[in-house]
Amino acid sequence: MISDIIAIIRDYWLLLLIGQYPNGPLGGLAATLMLSVLAIAFAFPVSIALALARLSKSPLLNWPVSALVYFTRGVPLLMLILWGYFLVPLVTGASVPSFLTMLVTLVVYQGAFLSEVVRGGIVALGHGQMEAARALGHSYLGAMRYVILPQALYNVIPSIISVFVSTIKDTTLGYVINVPDLTFAASQINNQLLTQPFQVFFILAAVYYVICWSLSRVAVLTERRITRKRAGTAAQATAKSLKLAALTDQPS
Amino acid sequence: MSSFDLSEILGNPEYVSMLLLGIEMTFVVAIGSWVLAMTLALLLLGLRYAPGPVGNAFVTAYVSYHRNVPTLVQLMLWYFGIFTLMPDGLTFWLNDHNAEAIFAVIGLGLCQAAYFSEDLRSGMRAVSPGQLEAARALGHSYVSAMRFVMVPQGTRNALPALINHSVSLFKNSSLAVAIGVAELTYAVKEIENLSFRTFESYLLVTILYLVFSLMIMTVGAYVARRADPVRSGRA
Amino acid sequence: MNTIAPSKNSPMIELTGVRKNYGNYEVLKGIDAEVARGEVVVICGPSGSGKSTLIRTVNRLEEIGSGSISCDGNNIHRPMPAKELNRLRSRIGFVFQSFNLFPHLSAIDNIAMSPIRVKGVARDVAYAKATQLLERVGLTDKANAYPGQLSGGQQQRVAIARALAMEPPVMLFDEPTSALDPEMVGEVLSVMKGLAADGMTMMCVTHEMGFARDVADRVWFIDQGQIVECAPPEEFFSRPQTARAQRFLSELRH
Ligand SMILES: Nc1ncnc2c1ncn2[C@@H]1O[C@H](COP(=O)(O)OP(=O)(O)OP(=O)(O)O)[C@@H](O)[C@H]1O
Ligand SMILES: [Mg+2]
Repeated sequence: MISDIIAIIRDYWLLLLIGQYPNGPLGGLAATLMLSVLAIAFAFPVSIALALARLSKSPLLNWPVSALVYFTRGVPLLMLILWGYFLVPLVTGASVPSFLTMLVTLVVYQGAFLSEVVRGGIVALGHGQMEAARALGHSYLGAMRYVILPQALYNVIPSIISVFVSTIKDTTLGYVINVPDLTFAASQINNQLLTQPFQVFFILAAVYYVICWSLSRVAVLTERRITRKRAGTAAQATAKSLKLAALTDQPS
Repeated sequence: MSSFDLSEILGNPEYVSMLLLGIEMTFVVAIGSWVLAMTLALLLLGLRYAPGPVGNAFVTAYVSYHRNVPTLVQLMLWYFGIFTLMPDGLTFWLNDHNAEAIFAVIGLGLCQAAYFSEDLRSGMRAVSPGQLEAARALGHSYVSAMRFVMVPQGTRNALPALINHSVSLFKNSSLAVAIGVAELTYAVKEIENLSFRTFESYLLVTILYLVFSLMIMTVGAYVARRADPVRSGRA
Repeated sequence: MNTIAPSKNSPMIELTGVRKNYGNYEVLKGIDAEVARGEVVVICGPSGSGKSTLIRTVNRLEEIGSGSISCDGNNIHRPMPAKELNRLRSRIGFVFQSFNLFPHLSAIDNIAMSPIRVKGVARDVAYAKATQLLERVGLTDKANAYPGQLSGGQQQRVAIARALAMEPPVMLFDEPTSALDPEMVGEVLSVMKGLAADGMTMMCVTHEMGFARDVADRVWFIDQGQIVECAPPEEFFSRPQTARAQRFLSELRH
């Protein structure tokens, strides 16, 4: 069994790493990581805008965003990917690589999730900070920019890392639209070998485990660091942070 | 493409029955794995608090694996991998009893158990240690202090997370389609293929998922409110 | 300082018929009062009587139901563009019971940030001023400390310096010492005394009767949303006119 696994790795490591590239699109682990990084990089600014809109008193702003958040919380990602596969080419009017479709879907999905994280971070600060900034004459947006967001975003860094881990796990769902990622590469290997499915999927699980575990550790260590740094200032309500943790730490 | 027309799907008994079967299977998978997950979660929690380092180490490893490997990959490992390693007798029996659905329940349930048990544990940890001390000072035994003081507060603390994770478990039942379970997502793809009504079939199923998820959230919010002595007016 | 006579003719703060409700509950039941330029007013009264609500309406952290409030000649509660309100607020210093320092900024950054971002003051000017203010509140050595590394009394002194950095002609205090350990109350009060001695117009909710006696020009006693008594401290403490004030004072002494 172990020798099978070593043999598979020896024969297929390049496919697992970069897919068919350069004879085909970039795939494998490289595509998985690229997809995740790009998704989070775009989702982050989107999430701040969504969080601010959701916190605003204007129903014109907070209603659509609330609807979007409930939508993404209530509909399986798989369904959203199918929607993306159907809608993205319709909107752009061209055939679009599945990688891009998946990226757009993930940005919307994780953007909505992340906006809840950011909003949670802002709300957890309490009224005092906003009030103090307003009393000094800052505008609402000025207070957000200089007082609230620097703290809230810093405090939610661990949650952002958790969302990143979720994103990596979510990229596996790209298989429904044939995104050439790590899982896709493993399926290809399985189709070629036919006789060693356990070994192939074991390797797949192990690779994801190593990556996600390491990042989760980073999240935990960052969290500790932040808690240490914040010790002495107002302690945050446990209930709030519990809720926040539950939100970001989703199985996928 | 012809114009939007839901009756193309809802007026066709064949499609409707496919939808209903899909809903049924989605609920079988979701409820089956929820029950399995909660049972395992309680066992894992017990192991956590058991004396000696072995139980704790096992649970840590269990949770770590199930949280850091994508659920889809866990399902694939079960169905495409572990299934093939099973003895023939068992394989035949499973094949006769909708093996796909059984592995979906097992895979999703085992995975979700890791989340549930962690939710419960954080809930317990959020109860201040002073509570246990106070209960002991009043003459409660350890077990009685747990039973009447710690566990009620711990589960209440854990409720929001448990509810959130129950919703995501329900959503994740859609992953079962990857191992060929004929649940709701499977149904929508079939209906789409047969009817060429992509927009209508997606819309219908999306609304169904949304309604069911919102129902779970609503029930969860109700339970959480009932469990809160202040908000339920029992204070 | 002990005269009520304003340096200019108009009062610094003028409240006319101020009313406010929370739902059906009337918190402020028609407040008419003035604070002269350079005057120090101490506001006291039982818990829940509306002291915080009143002082927070003065820089419009709370809206009012009816009436009007003017500060330095500006009607604070008139409809106005957000920009204008921000400008007015920056001219009314406010010190909170819970300090509300910005925990992500060091002491000196806490003080310098708002002049730079709100008033557009040049960095070096703002930091020079902040250094000066830190010296004034006795915290020169804590310039680079973060709020989490400061004691309550030190935090409150930084908060006062932060408010002063906007160069407001008026300072409002809402129980600035009641979140402090007893041994730290003195250091904050002495900063406030210094301010009063420099001629700052101050409105201060506090139960520090020693401070009121020494510094206040007048004491407003509030009960159930109304100013029940309004008198110089020596008069208020020795001859309270109403039964409610007498009861409040006797409870305070116990
Ligand atoms: N946001 C609010 N909504 C409803 N009622 C409020 C609100 N804020 C204050 N109140 C009520 O208004 C009344 C006056 O409150 P306020 O905070 O002004 O009292 P206070 O005199 O400052 O009391 P304390 O000495 O306890 O600080 C209280 O009865 C309080 O319960
Ligand atoms: Mg108050």
